Amino acid sequence: MSHAFMHTAAVTQLEWRRLLVRPLAWVLAALTLAWLAWNFTLLLGSFLAGQVQRAALPDGPGFIDLVGVPLLAQLAQLAFLVVPLLTMSTLAGERRNGTLPLLFAAGVPAWRIVLGKYLAVLGWLLLWLALTLAMPLALMHATHFDWGKLAAATLGLALMLAALAAVGVACSAFASHPALAAAAALVIALALWSVNLGAQMAGANGGVINWLAMSTHLQPLLRGLVSSADIVWFALLAVLALALATRRLAADKERN
Amino acid sequence: MTSPLADSSRTVLHLHRLGRRRAGRAAVQDLSLNLQAGQVMGLLGVNGAGKSTTLSMIAGALRPDSGDIRLNGEDFLEHPELARTQIGWLPERAPVWAELTVDEHLDAHGRLRGLSGAALREARTAIIERLELQPLARRLAGVLSQGQRQRLGLACALLHRPALLVLDEPANALDPVQVAALRTLIREQAASSTAVILSTHLLAEVTAVCDRVAILHEGTLRHDGAVHADDHAALEKTFFGIAMNGSTESARAA
Repeated sequence: MSHAFMHTAAVTQLEWRRLLVRPLAWVLAALTLAWLAWNFTLLLGSFLAGQVQRAALPDGPGFIDLVGVPLLAQLAQLAFLVVPLLTMSTLAGERRNGTLPLLFAAGVPAWRIVLGKYLAVLGWLLLWLALTLAMPLALMHATHFDWGKLAAATLGLALMLAALAAVGVACSAFASHPALAAAAALVIALALWSVNLGAQMAGANGGVINWLAMSTHLQPLLRGLVSSADIVWFALLAVLALALATRRLAADKERN
Repeated sequence: MTSPLADSSRTVLHLHRLGRRRAGRAAVQDLSLNLQAGQVMGLLGVNGAGKSTTLSMIAGALRPDSGDIRLNGEDFLEHPELARTQIGWLPERAPVWAELTVDEHLDAHGRLRGLSGAALREARTAIIERLELQPLARRLAGVLSQGQRQRLGLACALLHRPALLVLDEPANALDPVQVAALRTLIREQAASSTAVILSTHLLAEVTAVCDRVAILHEGTLRHDGAVHADDHAALEKTFFGIAMNGSTESARAA
């Protein structure tokens, strides 16, 4: 095993352990999953109630359109709050507790610290997504499943969570206090989501401002349309945020 | 004290004109010194003299603005990854991850230092036994007293058997029995050819375990010489001469 892999895995394992021990991660998981489960039952009830009318439509919306995707869209909304809370302590907390130098002194380069912590948070978020997906998947033998549409929406959510986690880790790298990191990550995430609101209200559906908006890239995926341009947008955002976090962390060793 | 078995001819640490600015002033400047295997060097100085900055740079937690650090002949600034296996560091106030137990701490430090599997388990068991941490093994680090944290920090620093042990105020918050145990431990490390550099405010600590003392004042090295167990009065005179007058005159007279 290479040193790079071992170091990154050690940081991931350390961060993962800290996440599991902290009550915040459990409270967030319990509250959000309970909320999503409640909404799932409501969506399912509404789907069952309209089943007879939809039977008359040859290409009417199915279970995934009316239950699966709306459920994932709710998870996307919750992610704006959950991800900043989960990422806020990753680096700002270490800096505040004075434990960041322990990682530097173990010869771990800044990029491996950032990547290790990012992977731990991403692991938690993907588990959260998987548990949410388990709700519609529990009915896969009871109804017709549009697997392609569900896969596209899941990919969209995974990409969104990955990008938001990277933004959260970057905010944590720059902030002196975890609360500041959470606030900054929330503001940036909301700004990224709604940067094109004005343009859309004015009727403009193209241009740079629309390209910048996260909603422009998530919504096609939630509709089942997978485009490499959208995937690249999320990947670019994640890489940019992680690069900024690495740069800031490396400066810690130079500056402090 | 240096063991006769120690490989004292091997230079473990070589600092050449090391410098670092902090908060707009020179925290350390033009610091040059060598440390041989099996040697125990005490680093003395008043608050703000640059001791912790020096140790942070040696440990790899802080990058110097100028100068060179060579570790076992290799350029440490070019290869900061050398810290992984060759340096053990106990920082001032022994910071810990409050959410982890003592066992988990040792595992995390071991993995960061490249240990895994049976080697990690053996190293952890040995250091827990040596530092008598068994009763604390499953306790969360966040609830440990400062003295217990110091012992945990020391265990983490020693876990991977480093060639250079960097201790920043290791006797902080330890009771007299633990201080005596710490001294024995430092002597053991020196006897097994580990070079030890220890920062302290306690002159008695230096005369008890060190065979060399370096005194920093306003970021510069003002004194570097041998020290013996019965040298307490002379060391005191040298230290206060430098601390009060900022000069080495008293040091020379001593």
